[in-house]
Amino acid sequence: MNLEGVYFFPHTSRPVHAFASLSPERNLIIVDAAGTVVAQAPFKAVVVSQRLGRLRRRLKLPDAGHFETSDNDGVDAMLHQAGRLRSGGLIDRLERSVKWVVVALLLAVLSVYLLVAYGFPAAAVWLARETPASVATIISEQTLQTLDRLALSPSKLKPIQMQKARTLFARVSTLGARGAAGYRLLFRHGGVVGPNALSLPDGTVVMTDELYVLVQRDDELEGVFGHEIAHADRRHGLQMLYEGSLIPAAIVLVTGDPSQLGQIAAALPAILIETSYSRRFEQQADDDSAVMLKRIGGDPAALGEFLERMDRKLCGQKGCSASWLGSHPATADRAARLRNESGRSPNGGQTRRPAPHG
Amino acid sequence: MSDSATDSVAAPTLHTLEFRGTGGEYFRIWIVNLVLTIITLGIYGAWAKVRTLRYFRGNTFLADHPFDYHASPVRILIGRIIALVLLLGYSISARVHPYAAVAWGILLLFALPWLVVSSLRFNARNTSYRNVRFNFVGSLGGAAYAYILWPFLAVITLLTLWPLAHRARDYFYINNHTFGGKAFFTKFSGWSIYRIYLLGIAMLFGLVLLAVPVAILVLLPLGLLKTDPKTMGALLVGPIALLYLAFLYAIYAIPIVVRTMSINLALGNTTLDGRHELRSTLSPLRMAWIVLSNAFLTLITVGFYYPWSRVRLARYEAAHLSVLATTDLDEFTSEAIATQGAIGEEIASFLDLGIGL
Ligand SMILES: [Zn+2]
Repeated sequence: MNLEGVYFFPHTSRPVHAFASLSPERNLIIVDAAGTVVAQAPFKAVVVSQRLGRLRRRLKLPDAGHFETSDNDGVDAMLHQAGRLRSGGLIDRLERSVKWVVVALLLAVLSVYLLVAYGFPAAAVWLARETPASVATIISEQTLQTLDRLALSPSKLKPIQMQKARTLFARVSTLGARGAAGYRLLFRHGGVVGPNALSLPDGTVVMTDELYVLVQRDDELEGVFGHEIAHADRRHGLQMLYEGSLIPAAIVLVTGDPSQLGQIAAALPAILIETSYSRRFEQQADDDSAVMLKRIGGDPAALGEFLERMDRKLCGQKGCSASWLGSHPATADRAARLRNESGRSPNGGQTRRPAPHG
Repeated sequence: MSDSATDSVAAPTLHTLEFRGTGGEYFRIWIVNLVLTIITLGIYGAWAKVRTLRYFRGNTFLADHPFDYHASPVRILIGRIIALVLLLGYSISARVHPYAAVAWGILLLFALPWLVVSSLRFNARNTSYRNVRFNFVGSLGGAAYAYILWPFLAVITLLTLWPLAHRARDYFYINNHTFGGKAFFTKFSGWSIYRIYLLGIAMLFGLVLLAVPVAILVLLPLGLLKTDPKTMGALLVGPIALLYLAFLYAIYAIPIVVRTMSINLALGNTTLDGRHELRSTLSPLRMAWIVLSNAFLTLITVGFYYPWSRVRLARYEAAHLSVLATTDLDEFTSEAIATQGAIGEEIASFLDLGIGL
């Protein structure tokens, strides 16, 4: 066994063309091109670097001299001969085996899928549930202040309209997890936001004037409130917040590269994943709303009809479903789902209060 | 072997760095690292980091000799655990009291010089070339000067002093690195770095000024096609999104251009031991192209292009960095230095302090 390579005397950067071999006494002997012994040491005291790709192997002698060679197989054979080839070579064998690389690839795809589909949502649900109410209140107040500053303005609804909405809100909010006292309804003029309602983690529901004027039946508005209260109960807002920060963190941890490249590459998948999560949240909130509506004797399908009307108002007769990213949760699907809920209800989808909304 | 007298009178030789790794080879290492890191819930990450850095340093050759990386994964793991415990402490205390975050921020500010110095020192001391180690000899005071005082001055002067703060950081980084006890040294005029930032600002203004006419030129003919405002809206969404994306990418390119030019400036003026000159000839536009197309390809391949993208960047960077050596580079001798724990380095990398040029 004779390995060809380069030897460096201790603490020097001058390379010497040299050969390394193992003596019968298990000493590492290094000779130069002229055959003169330049270094030797008991092989068990020599630190051999792990095999990695085609990298040169480094044999570090106890006196800080060092021999390096491209003959990876030769070094492995020498380690074998000295009875030293142990688990250190396992990772390298994995890396060089096509079979194991393919297995690793499949495992990677599977584990990333499991993490995104189940791991992150479960972690976000747990974190959202564990978040103390005081933090939820701070986040909610901050969010509301920002919205008020950037987009929303004071409501222009008449006191009688507000009273009407509050009455309906009270009917639904008694069914919420925190009881009627755990929620409040705020009125705002939407402006650029348009017809919309949103819920904050502390149980605040904000409704825009533009949404109110679109309402034709009471149980439509009750459906909207039920939906927003469900968002608050399930802490969907906080879950979005946590999922939004978990995904980039995981990408950095896995790639080990917090550079610009990593950040840019992480941006779009994060948006797409969040969109799919938000679709799931909307579905959950719709389902909860349907349950609440049935309990107060309303029609769950009313929310679906209202959503479709809002869509037509916003996007014309064809609706918004042809949106260019396809990210908008299809309103038609949501309406169909709600109608389905309504069909299974004991009321059979009949309208309780057909009188047009005030 | 001992006729160094003849070496020193030899003509200077230009050695260019060369990266010999391949995307396919690194892909195998990366995917095994990835799976083992996930399976061990992140613990293997420390070993993965060492293997990755060994792969990149060990495949970077100067004058036909590779660099090498020596860090111990166990130290990195301990550093990461401490960083994680601190992070957990931060998030728990921030829950209990909202102002705890402020206290942690102040603590971090005081710890910053130590984090910067220990991170750079760990990295340098674990890197070697031809059996001789690099070292970093920056002091805590120097780090506070470059990383706290100068950024503070830049902020209170409404960023007008920012290029000088950048230069202070580069000086701290380069002038405190040593190889075999011999110092790296760089020096360049304030105007030369201001010029780079002014160019960046000019590019930004040019881009914004260009964006309006381009948007009008592209969108106007489309708008004239249909008179119905509703269908027109749907028709315009696609082109607007594409234009916006193009604009975003162009905006991303500017910091890359500025950074590349400042690296060329700082490294191009660097000498080692007052004799060997460094040359950095990275093309700013080419770098922007590589980084952005890498990001794009990594994105559309859901991450699987990542190993190739890193190799591609490493290959380009190496090919444009060289050393004009006045001697054979073999008269360096290592100094006695002890490698220290990776704690500071790992905290710094967890917080992504962005230490470097
Ligand atoms: Zn919703």
